[in-house]
Amino acid sequence: MQTVGEIMTKELVTVKPEDSVARVANLMERTKIGGLPVVEGRRLVGIITSRDIRRCHPNRLIADAMTKEVVTIPHTCSLWEAKELVERHCIERLVVVDGDYPVGVVTKSLLYAELGKYIDALTGLHKAEFIQRKALELLQDGKEIAIIFLDLDNFGAVDKELGHVVGDEILCRVAKVLGSLVEEGFDYLFRYAGDEFVVVTVKSLEEARKLALRMVNAISEEKWPLGIKVAASAGVAGGRRASPRQGDFEPYTVSDLINMSSLASTRAKKEGRQVVIAGEIGLREAGCI
Amino acid sequence: MSSKTGSYLRGSEPLRKAEMTIRLSEFEIPPMQDALLVGKKAPIGPEAVRRMVDALSPEQYEIIRIEHHVFEAAVLKRSLLKLLPAEKLLPILLEECERVSDEQAVVKAQVNIVIQVNRAVDL
Repeated sequence: MQTVGEIMTKELVTVKPEDSVARVANLMERTKIGGLPVVEGRRLVGIITSRDIRRCHPNRLIADAMTKEVVTIPHTCSLWEAKELVERHCIERLVVVDGDYPVGVVTKSLLYAELGKYIDALTGLHKAEFIQRKALELLQDGKEIAIIFLDLDNFGAVDKELGHVVGDEILCRVAKVLGSLVEEGFDYLFRYAGDEFVVVTVKSLEEARKLALRMVNAISEEKWPLGIKVAASAGVAGGRRASPRQGDFEPYTVSDLINMSSLASTRAKKEGRQVVIAGEIGLREAGCI
Repeated sequence: MSSKTGSYLRGSEPLRKAEMTIRLSEFEIPPMQDALLVGKKAPIGPEAVRRMVDALSPEQYEIIRIEHHVFEAAVLKRSLLKLLPAEKLLPILLEECERVSDEQAVVKAQVNIVIQVNRAVDL
């Protein structure tokens, strides 16, 4: 997982509280930097932005022009945590800290450019790299998750017979169909790879199964170009616990769930079923579902 | 007229005189007596004022940050606040100062407080 420390601007230009607004305005003009951390000794005491500068008389001290409440982020945090912070506080830059000391700055535009690498250009969905992050975040919030792994049936034949342009068009439409079924705040849709899609949901196993079934049905019922028949199979795993996990290593938990749901999807395809729940037989025997 | 002036200038250099007036008075340290109200866009802000009074008259002034449409801080002499608490003094100062100034200004105020006391004593 990429951290803000890896992408931040490390050549930190700082100013002091006793500097004048005029001097700092010149410095910003010269360095083309729109926001500078204010340090006293090595300690961060504020941040001065070009907006602050515009509002103030040039004779003022930076101490009288700066914003004292600085939003900081530890250098070990992920890019997604940084993105959430800039959006929550509606700010353009975050000061990156190591303990109590500023070590760099990360801007909103840089963050978005880096995070853009995790967005699938074809469908506009998040790529597989984001699944782990979102699933971990939900687990850490004490939510149980279920994973739906959905892949299109015999999609390779579409590419071979009708060409990749048509294939790509279908994938975009699939993303839209699936996107129309997810519930904001409960379900998170990703393109896993090729013709495979994943949903991380905080719903129960049974609700996840129903969602998977709705998705598979919606794909079958959609009117596809050139009269093509598109179908999908889905596997579902997780969503059984009512309380937070204890002692499990969360990244493994997420990887396991993805793997189990993927295998269940393969089984669904082999058995000609729409949706298969991972570990379904054992649970049925035990009378759990 | 013009030929006369021309001949005058040609004949000699213009006369230049300097007059000097000196007014002497005592410089106040700090350059305020009782109160300052700092405008939101004034050339000096509350932190600069704090540094000034701390350097020149340590512990004699109190800086109060305020939520006001014209001023952002008030600097009040502590001895004044013994006579009249800030919550009584400040609203009056703000009301009067906002009539005569704006956000760009730092307003110096001289405040005289006279306390009148009438007490009855049993004889």
